[in-house]
Amino acid sequence: MPTTITEPAADVVILGVGYMSGVIAAELSIASLNNNKNYKVVAITKGPYWDYVNDFSTTKYDEWGVGLGRKYDSPLPLQSTTIRNTPYQFALPVRRYTMPIQYHALGHGVGGAAQHYGGTMGRQGPWGYQMLLQTNTRYPGTIDTINPHNDLEDWPLQYYQYEPYYVQWENAHGLCGNYNGSIDNPGSDASGYPWMSQNYKLPPHPLTSAAQLFQSTVSSAPFNYHPFPHVNALASQPYVNSYGVPVNPCVYDGYCGGPCDYACETGAKANAAYRTIPAAMKSGNFTLVVNSFIFRLDTDPTSGLVTAARYYDPQGNVHIQPGTVFFNGMWGYNMIRIMLLSGVGAPYVWNSDPTLVSGTVGRGLTNGYSPFKGTNVSGTLSNIGGNAYPAGNAGGGSVDIYDLMDDNFDHTGLGFIGGSQIGVGGYPGGGPGNITFAGGVSSASMGPQFKPSQKDKYLQTKTIVSATPFAPDLPTKDNYVDLDPHYADIYGDPLARLTYDWTQNMYIGATYLANKVKDIFTKMGASNVTVSSTVSPGAAHNDWWGHHLRGGCRIGTAPASSVWDKWNQCWSPTVKTPFNIFGAGEITNTSGDTVPSGTHVAGPQSYRAAEGIKQYLGLMTPGLVP
Amino acid sequence: MVDQTRREFLKLGLAAAASAVTASAIEIPLFGNQNSSMQTQLNNANTQLANLKNRVNTVVGFVSLSVTEQSLLEKIVETIIPTDSDPGAKEAGVIFFIDRALAGDYGQSANMFMDGPHILPRIAASNSTPLVVNPTLSWATNPNIPGASTSPISYTGGSISTPGVGAGITASPRVGSGINYQYPLNFREFWRVGLVALQAYANSAYGGNFETLSSTNQLQLLKDLWANTPTSFSNILPSDFAYELVFMTWAGFLMDPIYGGNQNMVGWTYTGFNGVNFGNFYGEGQDQKTLMVATIPTRLKPASLAQYQQQASGSGGA
Repeated sequence: MPTTITEPAADVVILGVGYMSGVIAAELSIASLNNNKNYKVVAITKGPYWDYVNDFSTTKYDEWGVGLGRKYDSPLPLQSTTIRNTPYQFALPVRRYTMPIQYHALGHGVGGAAQHYGGTMGRQGPWGYQMLLQTNTRYPGTIDTINPHNDLEDWPLQYYQYEPYYVQWENAHGLCGNYNGSIDNPGSDASGYPWMSQNYKLPPHPLTSAAQLFQSTVSSAPFNYHPFPHVNALASQPYVNSYGVPVNPCVYDGYCGGPCDYACETGAKANAAYRTIPAAMKSGNFTLVVNSFIFRLDTDPTSGLVTAARYYDPQGNVHIQPGTVFFNGMWGYNMIRIMLLSGVGAPYVWNSDPTLVSGTVGRGLTNGYSPFKGTNVSGTLSNIGGNAYPAGNAGGGSVDIYDLMDDNFDHTGLGFIGGSQIGVGGYPGGGPGNITFAGGVSSASMGPQFKPSQKDKYLQTKTIVSATPFAPDLPTKDNYVDLDPHYADIYGDPLARLTYDWTQNMYIGATYLANKVKDIFTKMGASNVTVSSTVSPGAAHNDWWGHHLRGGCRIGTAPASSVWDKWNQCWSPTVKTPFNIFGAGEITNTSGDTVPSGTHVAGPQSYRAAEGIKQYLGLMTPGLVP
Repeated sequence: MVDQTRREFLKLGLAAAASAVTASAIEIPLFGNQNSSMQTQLNNANTQLANLKNRVNTVVGFVSLSVTEQSLLEKIVETIIPTDSDPGAKEAGVIFFIDRALAGDYGQSANMFMDGPHILPRIAASNSTPLVVNPTLSWATNPNIPGASTSPISYTGGSISTPGVGAGITASPRVGSGINYQYPLNFREFWRVGLVALQAYANSAYGGNFETLSSTNQLQLLKDLWANTPTSFSNILPSDFAYELVFMTWAGFLMDPIYGGNQNMVGWTYTGFNGVNFGNFYGEGQDQKTLMVATIPTRLKPASLAQYQQQASGSGGA
């Protein structure tokens, strides 16, 4: 018979072991980083510990199993999510992973979704942290028209305050890139790329010819943009990180990120399992609990504080893990779901009258990724061919510009704010079905006419360049996360329900920016430069909407509209405020303009939260860290 | 060597005898015409054995598809990827890939979220009829959910009152699912029902079993499925079944041979895919870091996952 087991209390209890949790684990368990205090840290995660040699090195080159079967990802029978466009609709559950629904795949186990991501990194510039203030200053009176039912909120800190945390994040994970600006002068870089106090530790990956052509085209007239090599977290050289953990370099065997999202067989692709967790393990103060599903947080009705996390072990026993302070590092909607299930923080309650909404947990959901079938620009470079079979890694070989994002161009009268990072020339390739299935099959994918289009598809004598530009999805009162009334996980608890549709800013911006990209491709000498149809309202069906969720559990400037404060500490009240829970992740990014991922914007928050937790543990009485 | 060949032959011989009892007009891919004399069959078998050394130990029969399904599905996949001057679905053994998949996790929907309620695509397609669904008890009784109750919940669709571009968009009570499967059947059952419905449509609309139709009509029939023309599928959208047919056929052509299709890597040879040959699997002396930035494509002989593992474990391979 399953029993209930109470574990020894810990100083810090970490919920979920993904990217951000790894940082908390290392920073709080290593005594030398904490005035030689030996804090006891326990981290609990629903999946296994992945060992890249044993688990990946001989079985990962398998598109059917990894890319489509998602054998390293979170099993859907365990839990799923439901999705709808408007609050008046029934939300359908995601029932399976397949092209292109595989984009929903949650990570599973230590390292989380970063086991399968593309390694995209970079920095969010000053504008992204103050979108509301900057827009109201430069384009006064426009935001409510640009974003109906606007719910935009600025970050609690500015870019320069996050800059030291970016450095910590980058040095721990070994980022590749080359910063062109001046390290000494914060205002020196005109490219829009944010000022950096030190350059990336590792050089960028080799550039493709298409990337070099893009680079030379956009850096000259009439564009005069500021290209730089793509920044990623796939080690280009051997590296020893800031915790002394050795890192193997990329072996360029393909089967990396991209649509198929493979795990890395050498650990070159950064994630918690191979950067921060090994450091925590070595500290002697850290306990890792795997294959254990957290289903509730217990709270003290008098103080409002979280007292313990409850989880099921694989035998069905219930464990109670008491702690002094808790870090919520679960991915996306699971961070929200555990709080809603447990009554921690004020749940967001939607109302058709936007002035009558209340609560914050689940509020301000945005989609940080490009719409899968969004506004796409493509062209053909006839004189550059190449191998489109697995080669390189997910995020290398391309050149990016920031000139068409943030407020780096005048938006007067354009009807949108922000824009896109545009990158061109990444290594082609992925799994064998990647090119065939990337857009899903259709009635056109059959018969004697279609088959020849696939012949020598991986041996390209021409290069197709493409980009999917868009402006940032902005938070509105109508996009949110709550608990689904109809569907439950394997243990009987309600699933997270996403109410979401593309916002106007996203597709108006996409249309404008597509023409800018079209000009670039044409100047590059591409033929057949075409702009595909744009995204439109009601189009965010649950088979292909994006997966980089942001903002549903956001940090912000006021407890009435955000869950976490400037230390990523909970200030969302229920009856009392649960001060002893902190959280960080892509879902806590309140807004932002750096695409396509929000991981690198969440990263500095994890270091900020680690500092906040250290200070909280030194407080005499529970409360907000000043 | 002699013993090995004999064992393989015995395996095939048994399969042929068993099939011949149940079906006289069915083509068993390894044997060709079942009506030929036993001696011809034996000769054919020995010839094919010699040609199929690579696949004979992995794929020699069916574990899930029924005799009638084999015959029908074989023609469907050959319509989707026909054999021309290059190999098609037939040579790749796509039907074996699908057979294995239907018998395994795919057919069992083992990695799918299968709980009810199941709101089928053909239900509540208009916003004139609200969709009324009971809540689960676990939701209704959770004290942390504001406003939760056990009363049925009514979904009306309609539009939210947001001004701007989206204003006036009328939404169905049920969000569009696209290809997101919403049926209460696992995939093995879905295919069973779908193949029967397809055959029924072939007879009613084209006057005969799918296998007997002209190749033009076979392709047209599959297009009819995508257009949701047939009514024989009841509450299943024919296009949902068509999606599975086409998707799984291409998967059988392109996935690693370890799953039963893409036999002898003909799909990879056709598409110019390298599998796990990163430039030096057969001693070509190429370097992946150079290949990935090359401007002229290099054709590499593909290598399979099994070959890679054999090489990695030191037991030969290349």
